[in-house]
Amino acid sequence: MRKSLLIFLPLLALAPVFAYVDDALSFAYEAATPFVKQGFNVREDAWGGDLGVKDKQAIQAQLFKGNNYIFCLGTDVKKAVLSLAIYDSDGQLVSEETSRPGYLVTTKVAPKKTGTYYAIVTVHKSPVERTGWALVYAYK
Amino acid sequence: MPTLPKTVTSLLCAAALTGVCVAQKPADSIDLKEFPAQSIDDVVVPVPSEVFGVLDKLGNPNWRGEQRENLGKQTGNRAQVALLLGTVIAEGFVAVEAEDPERVKEIGRRVLSLSKAINVEKAVLERAKSITDKAEVKDWQAVRKEFDGALQDVKGAMEELGDNELAQLVSMGGWIRGTEVLTSIVRKTYTPDSAELLHQPLLLDYFSKQLGSLSSKRLSNDRFVVRVRKMLEDIRPLIGAKDGDNISLDNVQKINEMTRETVISITGKGA
Repeated sequence: MRKSLLIFLPLLALAPVFAYVDDALSFAYEAATPFVKQGFNVREDAWGGDLGVKDKQAIQAQLFKGNNYIFCLGTDVKKAVLSLAIYDSDGQLVSEETSRPGYLVTTKVAPKKTGTYYAIVTVHKSPVERTGWALVYAYK
Repeated sequence: MPTLPKTVTSLLCAAALTGVCVAQKPADSIDLKEFPAQSIDDVVVPVPSEVFGVLDKLGNPNWRGEQRENLGKQTGNRAQVALLLGTVIAEGFVAVEAEDPERVKEIGRRVLSLSKAINVEKAVLERAKSITDKAEVKDWQAVRKEFDGALQDVKGAMEELGDNELAQLVSMGGWIRGTEVLTSIVRKTYTPDSAELLHQPLLLDYFSKQLGSLSSKRLSNDRFVVRVRKMLEDIRPLIGAKDGDNISLDNVQKINEMTRETVISITGKGA
């Protein structure tokens, strides 16, 4: 679910869920910060949600051949172990230089084709039942 | 409590650790059908400069030549204003590529006045000021980020006001103008690589779905919405069925005509 939707959905009962996704978002942006110095433009729009341990979530993204992308995944649950991988529309792994699973994960993609790609977010371990996560990307 | 021999314990630990490592190492391939519940509702729409940046790498486009002289007139039609706001923000990205500070500042002011027309002026006030300040010192990367932020702020504020459906039109307006510029450049120096940038099935399906499921009948029947819906349907078969498919020059020209005419209808006297 995108950040803008998360913030403004008028479901007050779910407000705590959205709050921790927002916290996760600041961690995702923190993970993206070093790449700004390398000329990457970090998008303001973002994805986010919450997952149980061993749960996976696929997110679709339109990527363009010729660009380089960095995907940054974050959670505010510092003892959680999350991983991130990007696949093309044939289900082939395309992400490279992926950092170790943890509460902040980054990975790079240099698409060989323009089209739809799939980011797979997985929660491997977490001390909490539902782990809020946020994913941002940067391009150059 | 019984204890296991040290070697067995070590082996079990090693196996457990290996298991964790194996589980955390991404598979080389996956079956995407394992994710059937994944919908296309949560799409992050690329900003125009994600595409424009690739064009820069492929050649040296004349960005100043792509700028529209007229930023368009707003009417009392809220759908038109939302679409127009999207085209103006996209124009901001073109002006950044053209490194035209005066134009960027003019667009910043226009974003503010259009936002006022749909009651979200407060949300972009700071952005508009920042766009002007950063254009003044020609910090183009920062200006680009401010336009991206302005788009999000406008959409967020509209959603807060309950105008979620109208907010989608801002994104679509940006996409239409961005695609018009993209096709204009690609057709002038056509290569299959540059044309491939038009292969955006996810976005077209997402926009079509949004327009096909509007809860407001009034908005659904709005002439601008009807026009955009038809345009998206007409473009879909032209962008290649599979990733990597060639998109012909003829198709690029057709998409350019469709998007140009739609932009004219949004911004022109007919609006």
